[in-house]
Amino acid sequence: MLKPILLVEDDKRDLELTLLALERSQLANEVVTVGDGAKALEYLRREAEYAGRPEGNPAVVLLDLKLPKVNGLEVLQAVRSDPALRAVPVVMLTSSEAETDVLKSYSLGVNAYVVKPVEFKQFVSAIADLGVFWAVVNEPPPGSVKGGRRYVS
Amino acid sequence: MNLPSPDFADCASEPIRVPGAIQPHGWLLLVDAGSGLPLACSDNAPPPSEWQDLLPRHAASLRELRVGEGPCFIGTAAIAGGDWDFSAHAIAAGIIIEFEPATAQPSLSAPIYMLARNVLPRLQEARSIDELAALAAAEIKALTGFGRCLVYRFNDEDHGEVLAEARDADHESYAGHWFPASDIPAQARQLYLVNHIRLIPDAHYTPVPLRALSGGLDARTLDLGFAALRSVSPVHLEFMRNMGTLASMSVSIVVHGRLWGMISCHDNHARQVRLQTRIACEHLGRLLSLQVAAQEESADAHARLELRQLTLRIVAALQDSDSSLQRLVSEEALLRLARARGAAVVLDDQCWTLGEVPEPGQIRALADWMAAQEVDMVHTDRLWEQVPELASCATAAGLLAISLSQVHRHLVIWFRPEFVRTIRWAGEPRKPDAADGRLHPRRSFASWQEQVRGRSLPWGQAEVATVHELRQALVEIVLRRAEEMAQLSEELARTNKELEAFSYTVSHDLRAPSRHIAGYVDLVLEDDAPQLSERSRRYLGHVKEAAAVAGRLVDALLEFSRLGRLALSKESVDTQLMIEELVTEMRLLPEGSRVQWECPTPMVPIWADAFLLQAVVRNLFSNAIKYSHKRESPRISIEPVSNAQGTGLQISDNGVGFEQQYVDKLFNVFQRLHQAEDFDGTGIGLANVRRIVERHGGTVWARGAKDEGAVFGFTMPRRGEES
Repeated sequence: MLKPILLVEDDKRDLELTLLALERSQLANEVVTVGDGAKALEYLRREAEYAGRPEGNPAVVLLDLKLPKVNGLEVLQAVRSDPALRAVPVVMLTSSEAETDVLKSYSLGVNAYVVKPVEFKQFVSAIADLGVFWAVVNEPPPGSVKGGRRYVS
Repeated sequence: MNLPSPDFADCASEPIRVPGAIQPHGWLLLVDAGSGLPLACSDNAPPPSEWQDLLPRHAASLRELRVGEGPCFIGTAAIAGGDWDFSAHAIAAGIIIEFEPATAQPSLSAPIYMLARNVLPRLQEARSIDELAALAAAEIKALTGFGRCLVYRFNDEDHGEVLAEARDADHESYAGHWFPASDIPAQARQLYLVNHIRLIPDAHYTPVPLRALSGGLDARTLDLGFAALRSVSPVHLEFMRNMGTLASMSVSIVVHGRLWGMISCHDNHARQVRLQTRIACEHLGRLLSLQVAAQEESADAHARLELRQLTLRIVAALQDSDSSLQRLVSEEALLRLARARGAAVVLDDQCWTLGEVPEPGQIRALADWMAAQEVDMVHTDRLWEQVPELASCATAAGLLAISLSQVHRHLVIWFRPEFVRTIRWAGEPRKPDAADGRLHPRRSFASWQEQVRGRSLPWGQAEVATVHELRQALVEIVLRRAEEMAQLSEELARTNKELEAFSYTVSHDLRAPSRHIAGYVDLVLEDDAPQLSERSRRYLGHVKEAAAVAGRLVDALLEFSRLGRLALSKESVDTQLMIEELVTEMRLLPEGSRVQWECPTPMVPIWADAFLLQAVVRNLFSNAIKYSHKRESPRISIEPVSNAQGTGLQISDNGVGFEQQYVDKLFNVFQRLHQAEDFDGTGIGLANVRRIVERHGGTVWARGAKDEGAVFGFTMPRRGEES
């Protein structure tokens, strides 16, 4: 069975558009959505309402940078410092390419960093590319994190 | 008896207070302060039997005497067939009692009363120092009958300038003359300060030695500093005889503890001045001293008040205007403040002047000289001797300067021109040589003219004090400004930071809505196109386009904000290579393909952050293409720039240009001089250019004319020259 994709997004429009984009990329993976960083960590750690979910990490986490409660960078940091989670690919989604965010994300071990394009068509293709690459093509060996930066604009 | 020989190696070392002898016009006793027993006497004293009864009668008066006070008139006595006035004063060794032939009993016509009645009111009425001096000279002459009475004043170098003269026709005039400082040796000046009167009735006198009356006392060591009969230096007697003067008297004028001047009386013949008259003369000297002090103080206070008002005016003007120190030179008061003819304000390498000043190069040399002194303030009336670069500079023979900072070269300098003075010396002022191994006083008293060159009028105490005050005020202003600036720049830095954070957040948050608009419009257009009317599709197209424009604007704003925050990493950038790469890049653009590029070699290296420099040049290139590509034959040329500000590039095009009057607006964020329909762009490119160049400490410029192309350029400081 394919691993799910975890989408962490608080903005309902962005959520809808991202889901549409994922849908159009015709990925078979299940997409799990949560609305803030705390929920994302609960899901990953199988805590609280996610305590009963089946074992196993998602194929990729698509993580919005600006999130309520626990922001994207904090989630990333928590993931990378957790031995059980550190191998999970994390793709940061953000509205802008502010240098400090990029630098911090990479220093925290993000696998890719995507600035959401304004044009919807580009957005769809960016999300599709990401989904395909991380959910299908890339099968990271346990304990290793595949690096690489993708520009999408 | 060994009298001191006149063979002094140095006049100034002559022990004038202990000559061991007196003048013969009276006689002297030294008695023990406790017992009243005689210890020493002059050789001409009558035998003790004549006077030993006298002293016990005055024991009470004698006990009142204190060491360091001048002689006090004790009484008159008949001794050895004559009447004697005697006065006494205490010294360490005992009490000195001096006897002189008696004058008439003090009466209402005594000189001292005449003085109080007639002279004092007139002294008080005198309006100037010169008037005071003239009065004093005339009065002393009337009191003593000396053939010539001079009042002179010592200048800073102790030369005496004759202020007033009262004389008989048979005495040569010294009015307007100067007496060289060397005429009065230092220890004589010292004595004039404590003992205000000195009389020599006859320069041909034979000194009368002192002798001890009891064992263990050396009469030659007695301090006669206060003794009226003290025998004077043989050199001085020779001086008098050379001058043709047989009798002389001098009265000190002491102002604020300094020997201000002298009343000096001479006579061609021997002349006696009795005790009562001498007391009157001494009093006149003291009255004159008081009046001189009062006159000088009032003149000084007046001058200071006036100068202080000028200072306040200058400082107030500077404070109000909030402008730099250079503004000082626009205040005429600056010159009046120091009674100067020229002034300069030096701020590091820049200089502003007012009035008559030296050449800029000379002022620079002066600033160097001033800096080398490492003092807050300097003044001289003979600058040429001190700064060779200024020699013979007519506008600056005198200088008064203040330094306002220990770190920067911030100076205010006042100049006074050369003031050529002719001094009439009462004889050649240099001491004659001592060829025969013996010191002679000068022999010539013939008027001797000297032209003094290379000097300005000396700076007065009031001017120096005022300038000092001005310095304090300026330093305060400068310090306060620095504080305000520091505070301002702190605030500015904080505001800038806040602004950047704000613009970042805003652009970040603005980007999402434009994305959403574009996204949903796309979805509608894609999914529901068949149901939409042509008009709806057109409207939605506009919505999408507007969203895209908003998105681009936000991206540009983000970029602008990012440029302000990026750390600079400077290196020497090979602009040649960079330009070649960028031109290749530009040629690939649809608008850039037709452009004819002119880039001469070699280019200059620029000390900059390579990435940001590239952004600057790319912006300027795109700009040039944007406004010229619709021309018949678009042409863009690049030139290297190298000047005092640094190195840079200048990019000219033959495009539509702009109106020069709007040049200041060109570099502002979102400022456009052309309608958006005509030329694409967010209006942020040139703002970025300026931001980057200014972060490097450089300058940008633009020149243009409507339809005649535009020139944009920038320079960045060379390595190590960034401020």
